[in-house]
Amino acid sequence: MSEHVLRVTDLETSFTRDKKEIKILRGVNFAIRKGEILGLVGESGSGKSLTSLSIMQLFHGTTGKIVNGSIHFNGEDLTKMSESAIRKIRGKQMAMIFQEPMTSLNPVLKIGKQLMEAIEMHLKLQKNESRHHAIQMLKNVGIGRAEEIIYEYPHQLSGGMRQRVMIAMAMACHPNLLIADEPTTALDVTIQAQILELMKKLKEENETAILLITHDLGVVAEMCDRVVVMYAGQVVEEADVFELFASPKHPYTQGLIASVPKIGDNKEILDSINGQVPSPQNMPNGCKFAPRCNQAMSVCHEESPPTVNISTTRQCSCWLYATKDVKVNA
Amino acid sequence: MPNSILKVENLKKSFQIAGGLFQQKQYVNAVIDVSFEIEEGTTFSLVGESGCGKSTTGRLITRLIAPTNGSIMVDGQEVATAKPSELKHLRQTVQMIFQDPYASLNPRMKVKELVGEPLEIHTKLSKAEREKLVLEMLEVVGLNAEHADRYAHEFSGGQRQRLGIARALITKPKLIIADEPVSALDVSIQSQILNLLKQLQQDYKISYLFISHDLSVVEHISHYIGVMYLGSIVEIGRKETIFNNPKHPYTQALIASVPIADPTLRKKKIVLTGDIPNPKNPPSGCTFHTRCPLASDICKQAIPEMKKINEEQSVACHFVH
Amino acid sequence: MTSPTTVQNSQVQHTQRKYSPFKEFWKSFKKQKAALLASIFIGLLIVVAFIGPYIAPYDPFEPNYDALLEGPSASHLAGTDEYGRDIFSRLIVGAKISLMVSFSAVFLGLILGTILGLISGYFGGWIDKIIMRSCDVLFSFPDLLLAIAIVALLGPGINNVIIAVMIFSVPSFARLVRGATLNAKENVYVEAAQSMGASHVRVLWKHIFPETMSELIIFVTMRIGTAILAASGLSFLGLGASPEMPEWGVMLSSGRDYLGTSSHVVIMPGIAIFLTVLAFNLIGDGLRDVLDPKIKNN
Repeated sequence: MSEHVLRVTDLETSFTRDKKEIKILRGVNFAIRKGEILGLVGESGSGKSLTSLSIMQLFHGTTGKIVNGSIHFNGEDLTKMSESAIRKIRGKQMAMIFQEPMTSLNPVLKIGKQLMEAIEMHLKLQKNESRHHAIQMLKNVGIGRAEEIIYEYPHQLSGGMRQRVMIAMAMACHPNLLIADEPTTALDVTIQAQILELMKKLKEENETAILLITHDLGVVAEMCDRVVVMYAGQVVEEADVFELFASPKHPYTQGLIASVPKIGDNKEILDSINGQVPSPQNMPNGCKFAPRCNQAMSVCHEESPPTVNISTTRQCSCWLYATKDVKVNA
Repeated sequence: MPNSILKVENLKKSFQIAGGLFQQKQYVNAVIDVSFEIEEGTTFSLVGESGCGKSTTGRLITRLIAPTNGSIMVDGQEVATAKPSELKHLRQTVQMIFQDPYASLNPRMKVKELVGEPLEIHTKLSKAEREKLVLEMLEVVGLNAEHADRYAHEFSGGQRQRLGIARALITKPKLIIADEPVSALDVSIQSQILNLLKQLQQDYKISYLFISHDLSVVEHISHYIGVMYLGSIVEIGRKETIFNNPKHPYTQALIASVPIADPTLRKKKIVLTGDIPNPKNPPSGCTFHTRCPLASDICKQAIPEMKKINEEQSVACHFVH
Repeated sequence: MTSPTTVQNSQVQHTQRKYSPFKEFWKSFKKQKAALLASIFIGLLIVVAFIGPYIAPYDPFEPNYDALLEGPSASHLAGTDEYGRDIFSRLIVGAKISLMVSFSAVFLGLILGTILGLISGYFGGWIDKIIMRSCDVLFSFPDLLLAIAIVALLGPGINNVIIAVMIFSVPSFARLVRGATLNAKENVYVEAAQSMGASHVRVLWKHIFPETMSELIIFVTMRIGTAILAASGLSFLGLGASPEMPEWGVMLSSGRDYLGTSSHVVIMPGIAIFLTVLAFNLIGDGLRDVLDPKIKNN
């Protein structure tokens, strides 16, 4: 347990709309080790972004709240901490980068000011020390003319540059955990390649654990050590990345991997998954994927499947692998 | 090319971005000397990153914007210089599918009005006749007749894209320009739509001009592709040839940059340095020279010509013969 | 031939009952208590305007020299004026005039202003400049001054009041619609319609105008209030209705001389004007909370 930087257990998060509480996350479980890149994969409605917001406890101004479960970060349960205690962790030991660098950078503040704000708050450095540190961080993320950039505004930079600045801000205090929510989705392919290389390099240098949230299976295959697949607010499969792609166990994972067009595949028709993700207000009974599953059995429509340990490195929530005797993961 | 439904030659588009009566005018060249042809019943994809001009090219062909120069022949008719009043035929022959399934459908119109609108514009059919065709088309794209009375926002992204396709198909066009039609969709829905598009091409002999930045999708659906960079086509030819043997350094980097959904194929990337230049301030000569591993003096001075290197491939690079 | 991807795509999200824009609107509007109350008041006022002459307890034109300037009482709810005429009856009949003048003026201004705004916003270029500069010229005059100038040109009378109020409403409508048009023009579905071959008229009517409607409706309700005030103001100055008409502004004017002694002659029509304008403004506020797209889209 102690080598886990982050351990999420039975996490349940809900939102309130029209005075009704709607549960979006229904018991999410996973853990990340030091220096590991864990991919959190899912499509829209899977709850993956909400998971990252729950971990960072970023619910201000929304009706979101954690209703169950625990989030152990470096041994401490974040759900039981006060807002001021979490604020000390946020940005320092745990940092986040978002998909849209334009909206996560303050458009009216110069880059240097924003970078230095994070540094001064967490590292308690003096003004010129923090400026020096900021320039160093920008150089670290591959921005050559860092001394000029600190005096520029976000809109003067390209998308790739802005994302680098975001990464610099996130890494400035050498966090133990970096949460990256679709960090390259809005970027061009050649720029995406640069950013992914950068993230890998920083991980090597700092031994930072990365929670990489994405819908892009290609990025997952390139970057991750382990993968967690989410569907409709739950984890359906967790595995080592090679195992997952070589033999996916959960029908959803199988369908997902089969629907992605791969260069060189020469498939006439892509496999697809019929139907669509159920909305949180209209969740089916039993297994949430059953209505779309081509391997569904009658039990799938009645009861939610348990999480089964298929091996020491794999888990899957599916009735195909569970019998009455199989030990359920605690 | 026999039976070409679309022939574009030396297409050029410049936008004026500054200046007016008293200031010096400034232009940005969005599309520079683009030429390609599309055969009946085939898919030609324009692929490239931001600022490459592929979306602008699509809009030029439907004459949503007027070209600065060049020729666009649609089904034998010259469209580039046609007056707006002569474009009615064009608008029936060429239809468009848009990227954003949420924004491209009027939220205040019922589905039967939405999908039937092209019929209302181009034909003299009665409301009942139009509705009948709409219902048929809904079935064709995999939706139900009962959906006709609903509003677009009651549907999911994938279903809305099907509505967009139904709307584009209903006048039996010969060419459909699809501008990033699956980019906004989830992967499992994306594959449904791609399968549908392929099926429709077989059944109706439609040609597609497929515009996308996603190389995996482009590889799956195209017969021919054109790779664009900063307003020009740098490489063009048969899909298989280009993917198996890309000649232009940009194409090579582009294909190598695409992450493959197979961890055993983790490959050494050709990671390009630097950012994509701003189209307002393009580099001299070959616009790719600032990021090209092969760049040398001639690249800074002269724009390379498009050379046919084999039956199925043409490249614009000083170092490729 | 059926697509291989048919079958289970038929589910529509949240299929409970069919969506109807009116039901949605009513659901939200019901919650605006003040606006609802104001709507009931205006509804009653409109009814009164129609049946006024039949329910008025006294003849609004008949003088009664035995009951001059009497304060409010059981027999005369709002008292009598300097000719002994029942003020309450005059208010009732006057409602019709006030509403008719303001509705006509605003409605005509709406039509003209909308057309100008749509053309201006959609086509841009020199026609936009011409229309907007003309509006700017009209804007530079204070409303009432402009109205006075127009009436002075055309001569006094209720019809010319309508024209005057209409003219000074047009620029506001035009500007509002132009702004909404500029926004609506950016929608992808407008581009889609154009690429389909839709004519400009069709695009404006089917795709752009509906986008402007919610802002227009809010603005119209506010504007009616302004129009009533303007019409009353003009009548007060003697430029509108003739003195024996029970128009509220005229009643204010002729009651001026008695402000010190029998203030009810002025206060009653004043209250009528105040309540009506307030009601329209409350309705407008309520509508804005329900319809304003900026508040809605969150």
